Amino acid sequence: MSKFKLFSLLALAFTGAAHAHDRWILPTHFSVSAEDKVWIMADVTASNETFNVDKPMGSDRFTIITPNGERSRPSSSYRGHRKSVVDIHLAEEGTYKLYLDSDVSYWTSYEVTGKEGTQWLRNTSKATRADKLPKGAKNVTTLASQAQVMTFVTLNAPNDNYSLTNNGLELKPITHPSDIAQNEKAQLQLLFNGQPQQGVEVEIIKDGARYRNDLNALKVVSDKNGEISFTLADAGRYLLVAEFKKPLTNNALADEMGGQIFFTFEAVLN
Amino acid sequence: MIKKWVVLVVALFLIGKAQSTEIELSINLAKQTGEYHNPYVAVWIEDDAGKSVRTLLLWREGAKWLKDIRTWWRKVGRRAPELVDSITSATRPAGDYRVNFSTNDDTGQPLAQGTYSLKIEVVRENGGRAMLRQKFSLNGQAQSYTLKATPETNIIKFSIKE
Repeated sequence: MSKFKLFSLLALAFTGAAHAHDRWILPTHFSVSAEDKVWIMADVTASNETFNVDKPMGSDRFTIITPNGERSRPSSSYRGHRKSVVDIHLAEEGTYKLYLDSDVSYWTSYEVTGKEGTQWLRNTSKATRADKLPKGAKNVTTLASQAQVMTFVTLNAPNDNYSLTNNGLELKPITHPSDIAQNEKAQLQLLFNGQPQQGVEVEIIKDGARYRNDLNALKVVSDKNGEISFTLADAGRYLLVAEFKKPLTNNALADEMGGQIFFTFEAVLN
Repeated sequence: MIKKWVVLVVALFLIGKAQSTEIELSINLAKQTGEYHNPYVAVWIEDDAGKSVRTLLLWREGAKWLKDIRTWWRKVGRRAPELVDSITSATRPAGDYRVNFSTNDDTGQPLAQGTYSLKIEVVRENGGRAMLRQKFSLNGQAQSYTLKATPETNIIKFSIKE
């Protein structure tokens, strides 16, 4: 996919349009057992049909945080027309964080007479928007946005390798991701710039969306401690999508700061 | 003073009782048709908070397949490699197996009186899985339970002998 298309997807996501694309990393295994080392693979895609792949998100910035906190990269990758695939060598016991590294991107939205709906200028901050906005542009807002596409995989015993940066919207597991299980309460915390964030909207979508009439997304909102809790009746693979936006004051580059999280996990059979 | 003696005597009596308590388990792995791999089997005891206190039995193959004993692996095996090594045994074909255990915990200490659950997980490669649960109490009383058949297991009998 061209960069432009990906940015378009991002823009759509923030407009809340019906065709906003989800993104995910889907590993072949969330939990593995081995005497020593083991290989797993993961798919990277942008799609609106959990977990049927659609568009090939690049894996150029696929990042692995090993259980002892070191940054690593996939051993090899393949970019197909519907997904990218990476090979990951798990060489030490514990939990690996897998995510797509990303930068803050700036989006300026506006409305203008003669064009229907909200218009978007990509890669346009408050500092650079004046030159790019057409005459008569109104309701001009610049959003600084960042997305975390992430998952965790565990070899043998888990550890709390969550690798938080205290930057933007982040997910901090309370229940270890490898301990999310059918019919057991799971708890996660949402942080914004390192602080617990109330009011983050979260949707949890079960695998196999294509094969049922109702999406049946579980919707939850983070409480005053930034926490959400949920109990899943079915074992299986899930995509958690979290979104949050808040106004910025006295910021030279943006009026709002927004974050998205796409977190893939499995609920283990009990 | 007398009170203290009474407490001590009662305590010794209870420890004596606990040590003589035994678990008897008769597992029957169901015969299957077609391609058949011996099932992996884990049997363990959880306390009333759902925490494993004792793995009684582990019939398994290589490490790669331990994760397939899903519940036992998540709750017990992955954090306890020494335990896994010490209780590992080879898988068995379909049939009836009678095994006896003390009511000790994983460290060899007698389990306190209270409520527990016996968990039996049976997983067959290219086949089904069964997860059986039976609550019981260690209260000085003999007990006997019959766990109904699943596609993977025929009737399983489980008793506490005092």
